[in-house]
Amino acid sequence: MIDEILTLRTPQDDINVVHAYIERIWTLYPDLDMMDRLRFETALIELAANVIKHADEGRSIVADISIVIDDDYIHGRISDSSPAVKVDLTRRDMPDEDAESGRGIAFIQRLVDVLHYERRDDENLWVIEKRRAHA
Amino acid sequence: MEFVTHQLDELVAVVRGEGRLNMVSAPLLREAVSDAITSGRPRVVIDLSAIEFMDSSGLGALVGCLKTARQAGGDLRISAPSEQVVMVLQLSNLDRILTSYPTPEAAFSD
Repeated sequence: MIDEILTLRTPQDDINVVHAYIERIWTLYPDLDMMDRLRFETALIELAANVIKHADEGRSIVADISIVIDDDYIHGRISDSSPAVKVDLTRRDMPDEDAESGRGIAFIQRLVDVLHYERRDDENLWVIEKRRAHA
Repeated sequence: MEFVTHQLDELVAVVRGEGRLNMVSAPLLREAVSDAITSGRPRVVIDLSAIEFMDSSGLGALVGCLKTARQAGGDLRISAPSEQVVMVLQLSNLDRILTSYPTPEAAFSD
């Protein structure tokens, strides 16, 4: 069951709006494992930041962000109105220590169990899933 | 988010922020550290005790600040990272080069 969907509109909304949304969802699930929360939140923020960065390239975007929590998994989903993305989701090496960018996707791949992208109905659909610690 | 800088001694500056170190606040951290180095303090401690969350943009800023400090003949160290920040440092293997200390005072006591 989706408790709440966040509709993010750039440029007026920034990544802190996504943080506030995640914090609201966590209050509905006080029993979630802390490391599950930290890992999932970090992954979803990296994903949302990627979507917003595309908007920074001169486009404004509308993105729907949702979190669904069931007994076994935390599911995150972002659908956005940007043009199709060319992205290689085979497992990324972590960039060198002196790199100042390029870690986002590598982080997500190490933080959650599923990272999926597809183009669907003129939208980009991103899905992440984190298996819960007790499951 | 605002970063506040204070002097620990003639060569050491402590830069402290509260909240989230992400794509919004990362440029402000770079600016604060750059200002500290330009004003003659190339040894910089980032006090992370009130940073509740850091993402790859924030981490990239720390790496950039470390390079800037070393180019100026100094160094950059961090103090009191939260559990989430430690997780991100370990994930990136940067815990090996961004040395963490319990307090800003301990960071350059060697």
